[in-house]
Amino acid sequence: MIYLDNAATSYPKPSSVYEAMDHFARHHLANPGRAGHKMALTAEHTLDNARHRLNRFFNGRSPERWIFTLNGTDALNIAIKGVLRDGDHVVTTNVEHNSVSRPLVALAEAGRITLTRVSADGVGWVDPAAIEAAMTSRTRLVVVTHASNVVGTIQPITEIGRLVRSRDALFLVDAAQTAGVVSIDVQAMCIDLLAFPGHKGLLGPTGTGALYVGPRAEAIIRPWREGGTGGDSSSPTQPRELPYYLEGGTPNVLGIAGLIAGLDFVESQGPERLRQHEIALCEKVRHTLSALPGFDVFGPADPAQRVGTLSFRHHSLPAGDLAAILDQSFDIAVRPGLHCAPYIHRHLGTYPEGTVRISPGPFTSENEIDRLLAALQEITTGL
Amino acid sequence: MQTTDPLERYSRQMRLPGIGKAGQERLLASRVTLCGCGALGTVLANALVRAGVGFVRIVDRDFVEPSNLQRQVLFDETDIAENLPKAEAAARKLRQINSTVTIEPIVADINRSNIEDLCHDVDLILDGSDNFELRYLINDLAIKLSKPWVYAGAVGSEGMSMTIVPGQTPCLRCVFEAAPAPGEAGTCETAGVLGPAVGVIANFQAAEALKILSGNLAAINRDLLVLNLWDNIIRRVRIAPLAGRKGKCPCCALRRFEWLEGEHGTQTTTLCGRNAVQVSHRRSSRLDFETLAQSLRTSGSVTYNKFLLKFQLNENGEFYEFTVFPDGRAIIKGTSEPDKARILYARYVGY
Ligand SMILES: Cc1ncc(COP(=O)(O)O)c(C=O)c1O
Ligand SMILES: [Zn+2]
Repeated sequence: MIYLDNAATSYPKPSSVYEAMDHFARHHLANPGRAGHKMALTAEHTLDNARHRLNRFFNGRSPERWIFTLNGTDALNIAIKGVLRDGDHVVTTNVEHNSVSRPLVALAEAGRITLTRVSADGVGWVDPAAIEAAMTSRTRLVVVTHASNVVGTIQPITEIGRLVRSRDALFLVDAAQTAGVVSIDVQAMCIDLLAFPGHKGLLGPTGTGALYVGPRAEAIIRPWREGGTGGDSSSPTQPRELPYYLEGGTPNVLGIAGLIAGLDFVESQGPERLRQHEIALCEKVRHTLSALPGFDVFGPADPAQRVGTLSFRHHSLPAGDLAAILDQSFDIAVRPGLHCAPYIHRHLGTYPEGTVRISPGPFTSENEIDRLLAALQEITTGL
Repeated sequence: MQTTDPLERYSRQMRLPGIGKAGQERLLASRVTLCGCGALGTVLANALVRAGVGFVRIVDRDFVEPSNLQRQVLFDETDIAENLPKAEAAARKLRQINSTVTIEPIVADINRSNIEDLCHDVDLILDGSDNFELRYLINDLAIKLSKPWVYAGAVGSEGMSMTIVPGQTPCLRCVFEAAPAPGEAGTCETAGVLGPAVGVIANFQAAEALKILSGNLAAINRDLLVLNLWDNIIRRVRIAPLAGRKGKCPCCALRRFEWLEGEHGTQTTTLCGRNAVQVSHRRSSRLDFETLAQSLRTSGSVTYNKFLLKFQLNENGEFYEFTVFPDGRAIIKGTSEPDKARILYARYVGY
């Protein structure tokens, strides 16, 4: 199997991730922070250590600001539903994933908020000036995905962050496609809320994710999941201190043990080096397909402007069919369709059929890409 | 002040051949983080600010209490009445002493997550702490960032100090590879402390700081200084041969920063609805209850058996009960604040 669906979830993980999880599950898989026995203490240390590591990696203000979540979607929902109040205005883009756009549209349809969706340009890039123009005095929140999961375009997060801060709104960044492959400094980038899954570029298992809550967001955010927190069981409502305020329930400490092993790998390689590896492979696909008849390739031409995710389509073979043939006859896993991001597909003119998306990972080889290209040529010859 | 020359206030110090005008200017341009502002820390801050060190960041998690006044030279009864944090009280006093330097008070518990932020932009780190956990953390960071630091400690009538210049001298772990186990070293609360002993050792530390900051590295003390003011002992132990401990020092030779990485150190767990916090160690050790009981008896009531030691005390009207286990773990009743529990643990069990 040639796995080219790392934008959905990374595979394989570094073997250290499997080993860390196996070891943790066999020896330390207790409920953290509730009993204080030896195993619970180790489990609790794993959580504390993970918060420390994320805080260092993304340059957060302090470890307790890192809330563990089920995935990227969960982190985004905690952020969006936690900070918005009736009558607020929100600015977002048409590059967003459904995990951003659905909660926002639902709130707008319920009459709770008003929503402005800023359009990207032809390669999926959002102009900070367009965000600024969309903001009003009621704008509470600006939500932008750091990189498109369809065309890979990296957004000018620092510029947007600065202007959002100068207008006193909160800035939520969906780093699902960048955490682990693009350096993120939440303080320098003026990010108030950073949401990401642990199972993509950070190379952890599914069932992991995190939300960073900066000081400006902390003043406003409210939990909508409430429950047990380990300490302070006597208080009738959720205790105010982070991370417990937003983290009711037993955390996925096993997954987090794996996530930190993934982060170890990412730190040892460096995000930029991992991104370079992935975009070099995508560049090869882009060059080859651009020269073949019948293919359209999307996204920015400049590799510096993108992450290792590439979308293309063929004029006479629908994306779904192409992907099915790659899977059935060539054992190559790619992702066809709308990629949970319908607005950008409408914008690109690829709705509703969608595109074929390939997303290599740290362990994808050039040889595997050559085999993909040979398969694509073989499939489309004579069409 | 009625003077026109801003350097006039430092004139006596500038007359020292090792300092002069150039050295004074270096002091004015230099930056220091002081970790802890208790007995050692107040003496250090006082000396540095008077000497014109341009920027002093003072970090301490504690509040001023009556039992501090016997030796912590910057504090007075007003600070207690106002319930001021030590860092703030010290800054207020220091600004009256020298308004021309910058003092940055920070009320925080120094830990592995914030220590780099607190120290990355200074020329020297000074140990004004009361616990080994912090000293090993400082040592890790100082070696990692290649910044000098000066260690000191004082308990009873004894004091000890050494100066660490990464790449030139042994580091703390070259000399003391492991921290003393909990309960092994006395604390000011259990063994008491002689004010002048702290004063002497902290001023010694301050002199080392002034040498380093004024560009006189050649003049620093390269030995371990040990003194006992009651028994009239002053010793210098040669430690230079220990540098890097034959390539095996985990910190400065192998560059494994175990304290920064969280492999050592204490961990706190707030216990469900019990107004209690459990303090435990990442690496467990074996406590000797008999010795610990003896040292604790001066502060409160102690009972113990093979499995646990109970210690009750009254501190400034607050009642606390420690239940200590043989592996060094302790449940401290009477607080639900992890920071407070750490302070109490460091004071009475010691680490
Ligand atoms: C841009 C983007 N945002 C959010 C998500 C949602 O993440 P998760 O699937 O972990 O909920 C994804 C991935 O599916 C994504 O690509
Ligand atoms: Zn050493």
